[in-house]
Formats: sequence, C-alpha cells, structure tokens
Amino acid sequence: MKHPILMPVLSDTMATGRLTQWVKSIGAKVSKGDAVAEVETDKAVLEVEAFSDGYLAGPLAPVDQDIPVKQVIGYLADTAEEAASAGQTAPADPAPASEAPPVSPPPKPSLPAEPFPTPPVAAEPSPAAPAEPVPVPQAFPGGPSEGHAASPYARALAFDLGIDMAQVVPGPDGKVQAPEIVAALIAPAQPPLNYGPPYRLEAPTKSREAVARTMMAASATPSFRVTARLPIRELQHQAASRQVSLTVALSKACAFTIQAYPRFNAVWTNGGLALRDRIDVGIAVEAQDSLITPVLRDAGGKSLADLQSAWKDLLSQTKSARLGPKDYSGATFYLSNLGVYPVVRQFDAVVPLGASAILAVAAMDSDGSAECTLTCDHRVVFGADAAHFLTHLASQLATPDSLW
Amino acid sequence: MDEDLFYWQAVNIALDRAMEEDPDVFVMGEDVGLYGGTYRATENLMAKYGELRVRDTPISENSFTGLGVGAAMTGLRPVIEIMTVNFALLALDSIVNLAAKIPFMSGGQFPVPLTIRMPGGVAKQLGAQHSQRLEHTLMNVPGLRIAVPFTPQDAYGQLRQAIRSDDPIIVLEHDLLYFSKGAVDLDAKAPPMHRAIVRRPGTDITCAAYSLMVAEALAAAETLKESGISMEVIDLRSLSPIDWNCLQQSVEKTHHMIIAEEDSGFAGAGAELAATVQERCFYSLDAPVSRVAGMNIPIPFNAALESAAIPHAADIVLAARKMLLERSQTS
Repeated sequence: MKHPILMPVLSDTMATGRLTQWVKSIGAKVSKGDAVAEVETDKAVLEVEAFSDGYLAGPLAPVDQDIPVKQVIGYLADTAEEAASAGQTAPADPAPASEAPPVSPPPKPSLPAEPFPTPPVAAEPSPAAPAEPVPVPQAFPGGPSEGHAASPYARALAFDLGIDMAQVVPGPDGKVQAPEIVAALIAPAQPPLNYGPPYRLEAPTKSREAVARTMMAASATPSFRVTARLPIRELQHQAASRQVSLTVALSKACAFTIQAYPRFNAVWTNGGLALRDRIDVGIAVEAQDSLITPVLRDAGGKSLADLQSAWKDLLSQTKSARLGPKDYSGATFYLSNLGVYPVVRQFDAVVPLGASAILAVAAMDSDGSAECTLTCDHRVVFGADAAHFLTHLASQLATPDSLW
Repeated sequence: MDEDLFYWQAVNIALDRAMEEDPDVFVMGEDVGLYGGTYRATENLMAKYGELRVRDTPISENSFTGLGVGAAMTGLRPVIEIMTVNFALLALDSIVNLAAKIPFMSGGQFPVPLTIRMPGGVAKQLGAQHSQRLEHTLMNVPGLRIAVPFTPQDAYGQLRQAIRSDDPIIVLEHDLLYFSKGAVDLDAKAPPMHRAIVRRPGTDITCAAYSLMVAEALAAAETLKESGISMEVIDLRSLSPIDWNCLQQSVEKTHHMIIAEEDSGFAGAGAELAATVQERCFYSLDAPVSRVAGMNIPIPFNAALESAAIPHAADIVLAARKMLLERSQTS
C-alpha cells in the first residue's frame, strides 16, 4: 500500500508551501516522526514528518515550487519493493514545467530577462473604449497562455480597467476572478520599468513576501512619532555585568513602562480597543535576507533571567529558520534596536498590525544616551501619552535596579 | 382586493371565472367532476356547470387528451387535468404529435387553444413512478408553452391567461404547493405569462428557480443574508419560453448564477438555463454557473432518501457559499 503525504497546513495563513528539499530519497526507510522533507512557509522552514513507519516512495513533488496545502507531495510505501517500483516523476499536477528531477534539482534560475509584458491596452486609458457593454472577446489581453485561469468577467473587467492580467495575483484557488482584479486595481502602482535598463526578476522568498504583505497592511495605520533622548548607559552596564542582552533588558524596561501606561498594550480593532494584560514584546531581528519578530512572552511577569534564556532559544531558532507562528506572532508591543550600529543616530519604525507602538532605539552617544523614537497608532494613544511613556521609560533606564 | 387563498383555491376560482365568462371553456379529466379533483382544484364546478362542461373520464390519458385537442380544433377551450405529470407519459402522443404540431402543420388553420393542467414534482413518498418531474421532456417540444406558477396569485393569473390563449399550454403545478397560501388579487392585471419575476432583489448572486424551488431559494437567501451574501431570487414562472432578459439583467449585476431545480440535473431545465445564460452573459460571469438539482436517480420511496435526492435551501446556501466565500484551494 502507498499512502499519500500531503503538503501540511502549518499556519492559519498558509495557502501554499514550497519544498526546499527532500531530506530522504526514494526507497529510504523512515520511521514515524522522521523528517522526510522541508517546507518553506510564509515565515519559516519546517519539517514534514512521516506519519507512520515505511519507505519513501515517488512520485515526489518538485522542490522550489509553490504547492497548495493538502496536495499530495509524495508517498509512504509499506514495503521497500513498493517504494522501488513506484513512479519517480513528480505528481501529475504542479505544472508542466516540473521536468526537474524529484531529488536535488538544479538551483532555481532567476526568471529570464524579458521585456515587461505590455498589455495591448497600454497604460493610457483608451478613449476609444468599446461602446458596447459587452466587449468583444478578441480584444482581451491574452488567453490561457497568459498566466492563470481567469473568469470571463475578470478578463472583461481587467480589459475595461486597463489592468494587465500578468500583474494580477490569483485567488486562493489559483484562479483570477473579479475580487483579484479589484485587488490589483487598488494595489499600489507597479514601478514603470519599460524604458529603464534591462532587468531580471527574482522571485521573492516566502518570508519577504510575508513581510511585504504585513508592511502594506500596517501602512494603513494612522501613526505619529515622538523622539526622546534616553539614558541607556547604566542599563547597558548592568546588563553586561549580568550577561543579559541589552535588547532583553530594554524589553523588560518597556514592559514595566507599559504596566504604568497600559494603553500601549491595547490595539485598535473594528469592534473596539482590544485590551491585553500580558505584555508580549516582539523584537525585530534580521533573518536570512528578511525580517522576523520573535516574541518574548510575558516580558512584564518573567524575570530577566527567564527572558534571557527564552531569547537565546528564539535566536537560535531564528538562525535555523525554525521559528513557528507561535514564536513570531501575537506581540503586543515591538522593539527595534539598531544600537549595535554606531553610525545610526536616529530612525523610526513601522507599527506592525496587532500592536499600538514600536520603539526604535539608535546607537548610544558618548554621553550615554540614545535617540529613541516611539511610533504610535493615533487611534489608541496620543502625543501626550507618548511623552508620558518616554518620560517614564527614561527614569526606568536611568535607575534600572528595579528591573532585576 | 387581496384575499389569502390556498393555491388550489386560486386554481379553482380561475376555472370557475373562466367557465362563467366563456361558455366554450370546459374541464375534463379523471375525478374532476363528482370527486372535485385530487387536489380539490375542480371542487363544486360540476354542481355549478353540469356534467357536460365538467367531464369525468375513464383512466385513458391519451384518449381524453386527444379529445381535448379535437375539441380545441373545433373552437372550444378545453382545460384538461392530468392527475399527475407521470400519467402524461401516456398522453405524450396527443400532447407532442397533436397539440404541439397541428397548429404548425395546418399552417395556422387549426389553432389549438388547449390548456393541460397537472401537478409535477416530488410530493411525499409517492414512489419513483409518481414523483417524476418531466419539464425537460415538455420543454424539448417546440410548439408547447409551459407555465410553472409558484404563488397562488400566479396559479390564478397564469391559468386565466392560458385558457384565453390560442396556443396549447401546459400549466405545471406542484403537489406540495396546493396547500400553500398567499394573497391573491383576482382583479389585478397579470404580467405577461412568460415574464420572470424577481421575488427578492440582491446584488451578489442570482438564483433562478421555478415552482416549489422558489420557496427553497427564498429560504436560502434569508440564510445567506447572515453571511453578508445578498442573493437575488428570480421566479422564472415560465419554462417555455424563458424570460432571458430578466436573467441577463440580473447576472450582469451579480456576475454569479445558481439554478435551483427539483428535476434531475442531467439534461434538465437547468442545463438549458446554464447554456443560454453563458451564451448571453459569458463576459459577465465571474464563476461557472452552478446547478443545484435533483440527483440523477429515480426518486426513492424511503422518506430520508427521497429528501436527500432533491435539493433544499441548505444545498443552495452551500453552492452560494462555495462560489463566493469558500473558493477552494485545490479545485
């Protein structure tokens, strides 16, 4: 018997996954729980585990392609013979381009340089729009060859609105319908590349895509910034002597300040302000050509020693791209510390969805203080709140003994 | 002046008024006289108009339907009642070869102003042979017009129009509608017999239905409202001809269409609707037209299986949600 292995659903938002590699090869004996493949989701690389003992059998899905969740990516056979006799090629679906051998294919090439696909209906809104409400079919840009399957109405709409079908991101079912055209319409304009130098397209990594998506969503937040000079030398000094990272100590100081001004732990929702008691601090970290925010849970309640050990775990998981949604989601306050770069005098950050404020900490001056900018959601807190917050934080940092 | 009437009462009053106004109108069928009709549609007519104009027949559908065709050719306006559409299979020669063809083959010299009434639908555990819906068979006969009234008002109005018309007209009633109740204005000016009516306006999806399925579609629309889906419900009222303009207008607004039919989906009325709607509205459709239809099986006698073999409001809700909210990741 061969049992299908499915592309797992590893997070709420995961619609597709990309196999980064098959850890086992066809015919290999695997035990229940063994990793057989690695999957890149929108945030992390996670393992696909064998659900029972058996032998890995083909056809195996190709690596480096987006595969819808719950689609068959390979098989587990009960016997070695079955595994050996099973097909070696990729499962029927993923695309005709899946000629790559199932195991260790050549690295995915960048998309070839090609002129930007120009729709027959160019950017200028055609004044000679068809008079008839139902446009004639042959006028539509492209047919099945042009990317994803699209409903007739979606194509008609794209034609009327002058939207290039090649630029439209398909829906969860891989098809383009009217909502996708509307999304393309309200999406930010594409940069005009037609007359510039030749260019290559590099497919964004899953995590870069996720960052782009969340930043776009966050850009709708009405925010304001307040900058203060905060004394951090004493904190840095004490943290170093206790072998605690300055970032962790800053998180703790922020958490104590939030306890004094709990509005900073709330978030705006359509239903009202969501108030939270526990303070979870998300910390911006550079990770593999991208950005991720591991979360220190209960930064107000836990001791600095506990926080430091949690932070160490999070960092090592970040390095190996093993962070799961429970590790990087749900922060109530954010911290971004560029203080390790001495040239950075001042900067500000974007408030991620789910929180109301983010503190951007620049490098320390010779006088022992750093420019810190608090970016806030103006629906939740106001300028005076931010001033109170920073004042309280300043005194917290000046006399950090209460943190320990 | 509206009064609340049962569907069967509306049919009964339509027959009564037609006979009162026109001495050429007469009623014929099994148990229409003394018994007053299986669903009481001809109640009291024999007492009022006598045996000559309200004629009980033997069990001989092809013969009495043929008799009706002959009477119509001589200028009378017969209203034939066939006890259920299932028995119309025996009368198909009279309906298809005579009623539908004679006006055409005589070059219009012999109009056939014949009305054939019959219930056609799944009732309650009448078994496979008495639960058929044969609209597909009748729709495929050029020369016939088919009315499918859903409300008591239409049962009254469309029957009056059918009797006045010079064409052979089938009025398909539904076993389970005879005891539904609704306001009837006997003096209202009825819309043209083939005109579809929007029973509930909506903006997101169009549901075309007829006869009893309109009730299911309306219930589904109410449920969908809770999910924020606004479903327009169109009561077709006529299956031949079909009011394509009404459907087209709706689909050009909603871009999505569901067809609800009790009949088996295969080669049924919904197939014709889906085909023509895509011909007329292809560039307005944002998703394939979806048919919510009876299963392609003889209707089981077992009540649970019988119910499972035909669509209900929940099935329409499911189809609409699938089309609008739950675009699957694999299909």
